[in-house]
Amino acid sequence: MSKKKFSVNGNLKDSLNTVKFLTERKHFINSAAAALPTRTDDFGVNRVAKSIHPKEQKLVISRIEEHSDIAKSYFFKSETALAYFKAGQYLTFRFEIGNAVVTRSYSIASSPASALNGEYQITVKRINDGFVSDYILHNWTVGNEVTAYAPEGNMTYCPLRDAENIVAVAGGSGITPFLSLARAIDQGDEDCTLTLLYGCRTSDEILFKSELDSLSANNSKINVVYVLSHSDEEGYEKGFVGADIIKKYAPEGNYSIFVCGPGGLYKYLESELPKLQKEKKYIRFEVFSSGKKSDEEPTEYSITVINRGVESVIKASSSETVLCAFERAGIEVPARCHTGECGFCRSKLVSGKVYIPEGEDRRRIADMQFNFIHPCCCYPESDLVVRIN
Amino acid sequence: MVKNYDAVVIGAGNGGLVASARLAKEGKKTLLIERHNLPGGFATSFVRGRFEFEASLHELCGIGSITGKSPLQKIFQEVGAADKIEWIALDEAYRLITLDKNEKCDYSMPLGKDAFIAKLEEYDPGSAPVVTKIFDLIESIEKTLDFVSNIEDFKPSMIKEIFSEHTEFLKVANYSVDEVLKAFGTSQKTRDILNGYWCYLGQPTDELNAIHYFTMLHSYLIDGAVIPKGRSHQISTALLEAFTENGGEAWFNTSVKKIIIKNGSATGVILDDGTQINAKAVICNASPYNAYTKLIDENAVPDKLKKEVNAKTLGAKGFAVFLGLNRSAEELGLDNHTYFIYPTNDNRKCYELSKKIETNDVQATVCLNKAFDDCSPEGTSILYMTSIFAGDEWSKVSVKDYYKTKLAFAEKMINNFEKATGISIRDYIEEIEISTPMTYARYTDAPAGTIYGYEASKEDGIVKRIVFDMIDKGIPGLYFAGGYTTRHMGYSPSYTTGDMAAKAAILAMEKEAK
Repeated sequence: MSKKKFSVNGNLKDSLNTVKFLTERKHFINSAAAALPTRTDDFGVNRVAKSIHPKEQKLVISRIEEHSDIAKSYFFKSETALAYFKAGQYLTFRFEIGNAVVTRSYSIASSPASALNGEYQITVKRINDGFVSDYILHNWTVGNEVTAYAPEGNMTYCPLRDAENIVAVAGGSGITPFLSLARAIDQGDEDCTLTLLYGCRTSDEILFKSELDSLSANNSKINVVYVLSHSDEEGYEKGFVGADIIKKYAPEGNYSIFVCGPGGLYKYLESELPKLQKEKKYIRFEVFSSGKKSDEEPTEYSITVINRGVESVIKASSSETVLCAFERAGIEVPARCHTGECGFCRSKLVSGKVYIPEGEDRRRIADMQFNFIHPCCCYPESDLVVRIN
Repeated sequence: MVKNYDAVVIGAGNGGLVASARLAKEGKKTLLIERHNLPGGFATSFVRGRFEFEASLHELCGIGSITGKSPLQKIFQEVGAADKIEWIALDEAYRLITLDKNEKCDYSMPLGKDAFIAKLEEYDPGSAPVVTKIFDLIESIEKTLDFVSNIEDFKPSMIKEIFSEHTEFLKVANYSVDEVLKAFGTSQKTRDILNGYWCYLGQPTDELNAIHYFTMLHSYLIDGAVIPKGRSHQISTALLEAFTENGGEAWFNTSVKKIIIKNGSATGVILDDGTQINAKAVICNASPYNAYTKLIDENAVPDKLKKEVNAKTLGAKGFAVFLGLNRSAEELGLDNHTYFIYPTNDNRKCYELSKKIETNDVQATVCLNKAFDDCSPEGTSILYMTSIFAGDEWSKVSVKDYYKTKLAFAEKMINNFEKATGISIRDYIEEIEISTPMTYARYTDAPAGTIYGYEASKEDGIVKRIVFDMIDKGIPGLYFAGGYTTRHMGYSPSYTTGDMAAKAAILAMEKEAK
């Protein structure tokens, strides 16, 4: 092709067309209003995004319910809607305890619909040496304002992925996300069936029994079975929730297994679930941190923390996570899940060595390449230099 | 607290990262501020179960795997990031399928000029001569752009050279893709296939500027495309590492509250904790919407800039479904890397239909395993589907309807994919994540969840922007980088404008020093 001969509408018209854009452009800009554009926050999309993922929420405790001496439920009430969520998600709370600044996460027990009415419920179980749970149980009173972040978490029902029948295995206070799911099913906000296998030591330790019984009796999509490990009582299954119990109560057809509970339950199920020969996609565990790495004598280390260009040196122990050292020293990082999953606390390990428990390294490929860590699941193995911001 | 820097960069998106890396490389004391805990903005990744998903990148052009023409690689090398990124070259352009059964459209196109022309000839016998001419035009336009962008010292004689040597460029500068392709006497089928990439720019080809589209065809089809092995997060982190290695400081989880304007010039920023940062240059990787309505006092924004924002239309809003599948690509029959699935080849109609959630059926889907199989564990695969919305329909979705609406649209995309390809994926979904315009708004503060900056409309096509819109927007000391500037949205354009902003700032600093 002879390049010189190419034209769209003839050489003259093409040239005029090109020249035209000078005037077109002038008119285009000049005919617009000289007012400020719409604020980003005022677009409907951005409003919804902010509503579901607020930077933080100030929650006022409206009511406290005691579950004998095992646990307490805290109810929060707000004049306006609280951040909407999916049943199964958790809230992360921020605490200042002494010099420490810490965050802890609790699954939301209330239904998603109640958040739109300005209500949340969480349940805190009494445990031995629970630094934060003790603080809550002793200090949180009606009328207190506490700080929570937006709901997070991935143990939620998705009909595109999960079977329409959910077999939920709950241990102890691991019941709360499934209470939320049961309520959501009952309110018509989730369209799945729920077979809840709820493991406790004794019948005294069952939380929310009357509500669960009522949901189970009145809604054909919900079936609750209590499994007691430490007592033999009539009307209850005896033992631990394992493959046999699951097989006995699982509905016909395909089902997904959701698990939430203490570490002992996870360990037991790891050996039990393979017996069911289910594909990995049908088994979902709420992520869990195995905690202290070993019984070895802890070694003291120091961490040099770089925050907005300012360095400080803090103490750390090989038996506690890097995040824990930050928390003790009152150094705030945006931690949420405490299990390595969410990645909020991602920081740069400038130098030093850390141990990450097997199966808890949920970092991105490039983060491993460039030595970024999730401090919530890293234990120091030397003095460290960490850039948090 | 008051701190002094040569330059402060607002936002660690693609534009902000390159600008920062360039400034640090040139010895400027630079502070990069990012409100999230991660660099990258849209250019990031996330882990679900045993899968790491790419958040937004389909293919990167500007790293010419075929011709070696790599303007981006040049930037990455110069700022010290290139050797930190592992590129994987792609050999496939796209497979184009339409849902309209009457069209019987299913074309698989390769990258590489000769391969592309040969394949098109197979689908549309007799097309090769005219398509070759079109590629000649595309290459001639590229030469003009190279000539213009390599001008370092402008001489009046160059204008003469442009008018005598670069006539093709001048002829088509204000025409649409369709106008030019029709002038070549192309068949409808040839145009359908050549226009496959339209969704990457989000504008129908009856108004999309020809030079804009042809430049993109050049960088993909002729030069070749790549992806980074560590997802786009690898590019973002590599740029950040290069920046800090060269003495730059990056503060994450930190927000800018105000851009300080003194006597009409930008002189620094105020941070969320009240810290004042003084700087000779402020590079803004935030959108002009945020800059003018949040960061700068209204009376300090010149009318010209307000008019500019109001004249333009926000570009496409994004939606994506990320799937971790528990079967390999081979087992499922996923043979292609990039699938363009449209309701029809009439891209004007696609665009109009994409204004409503109920009628939008546009999707661009990537199977990452076709680029490199070890991107996911053995026996699994990763598929991610992206759609674009014209208009602002998602702003009508309430909080209460949000989860249902996003689930329903994701399901439609999966169904459309299965229908178009005949491949079953629904039963193999082990992990799923869905992002909506709200997700993009959440993570990038994009107005209305826009992923394409301003629309590349007839009035605001790329040539007009390059000629009329300046990196320096009219507030001395303030430079914009990223998707709302002269090169439209996208990885390659944002990296490029980031570099341009840094260079403009450096030039101004040097002038000031003299």
